[in-house]
Amino acid sequence: MPDSAEKWEVQLRKGSLELAILAALWQGPLYGLEILRTLESGSEIVVVEGTVYPLLTRLRSLGLVESEWVESDSGHPRKYYRLTESGRQRAIAMAQIWSRFSASMAHLLEPLTAPGANLESKVSAVRRGKS
Amino acid sequence: MNLTVDSQKTVDHYLNALRKELRELLEDDVRDIVEEIHAHILDKAGADPSPEALAETLAALGPPEKLALRYRTEELLRRARRGRSVGRILRDSLRWVVLGLSGLIVFLISAAGYGIGGFLVWLGSMKALHPHRTSVDLQFSSTMWTASFQSGGPPRGHDPFGLWLAPIGILGGALILYLTFRFGSWGVRKFWNPRPRATLVPADE
Repeated sequence: MPDSAEKWEVQLRKGSLELAILAALWQGPLYGLEILRTLESGSEIVVVEGTVYPLLTRLRSLGLVESEWVESDSGHPRKYYRLTESGRQRAIAMAQIWSRFSASMAHLLEPLTAPGANLESKVSAVRRGKS
Repeated sequence: MNLTVDSQKTVDHYLNALRKELRELLEDDVRDIVEEIHAHILDKAGADPSPEALAETLAALGPPEKLALRYRTEELLRRARRGRSVGRILRDSLRWVVLGLSGLIVFLISAAGYGIGGFLVWLGSMKALHPHRTSVDLQFSSTMWTASFQSGGPPRGHDPFGLWLAPIGILGGALILYLTFRFGSWGVRKFWNPRPRATLVPADE
């Protein structure tokens, strides 16, 4: 994959992380590692851990989530995050935007991704043409 | 969780480095962050972690300097949303200078704006308080024009503003200060991207 495409993919994933975290918290309160594992199990992506905690700090400062330290059986307290009402509204709004956008993109990309499109051979042909 | 002495030292070293890098933040916030990262390490590494598992856990978090930078960036954005003061805009812009050209431009324009605006307010005030000892001396020629400010004696050259210098200086300076304040606030919101650089990566990478 060309470098520019990889960069684009990183940017795309970066822009999705906020929605992914809000979606992970939709079912109920989770602590940091549970959020990470929910994201990993619920999709084909894993999250760079050092980026999630600062982002949770931002979501809290925006009033989208709230946090609480809870004693656990593991011997140390854990910080649980839960969606606020504002966070739930934001999550719904972002999910709707995402659905509309992805549907329109899927329609636009249909010629490229259809079963008979044979994308690999087309990419190879383009590369051969460049070289 | 039972950590060996060496493992405990490794965790303490990481957390101390993180705490040190976060020293600009409020003490309560630093304590909260360090405790949360500590809890994450304990959860992720599991009971009786091997040195390899512990090293892997810390590596996944990234170097403490980078992790702290992400927190500090989020904190600076939070301040930007909360409100701006002259000192805060200049201080944050100065830190921002190291992050990119846009930060340097915003810092220089803000510094110039506050300097010029503050000077005009002072000049107007001086004219109001000492009308016969404060003037702006303009000199024009075919190739250039110069302006000089004189305080402490009677006007020597052409003083086009007269007593109008007081309201012009005060109001004009205040307007420049206000516009600079708005520009600085806008610049931080517009150009400062606080989002962490690395976020999601495919599982197969």
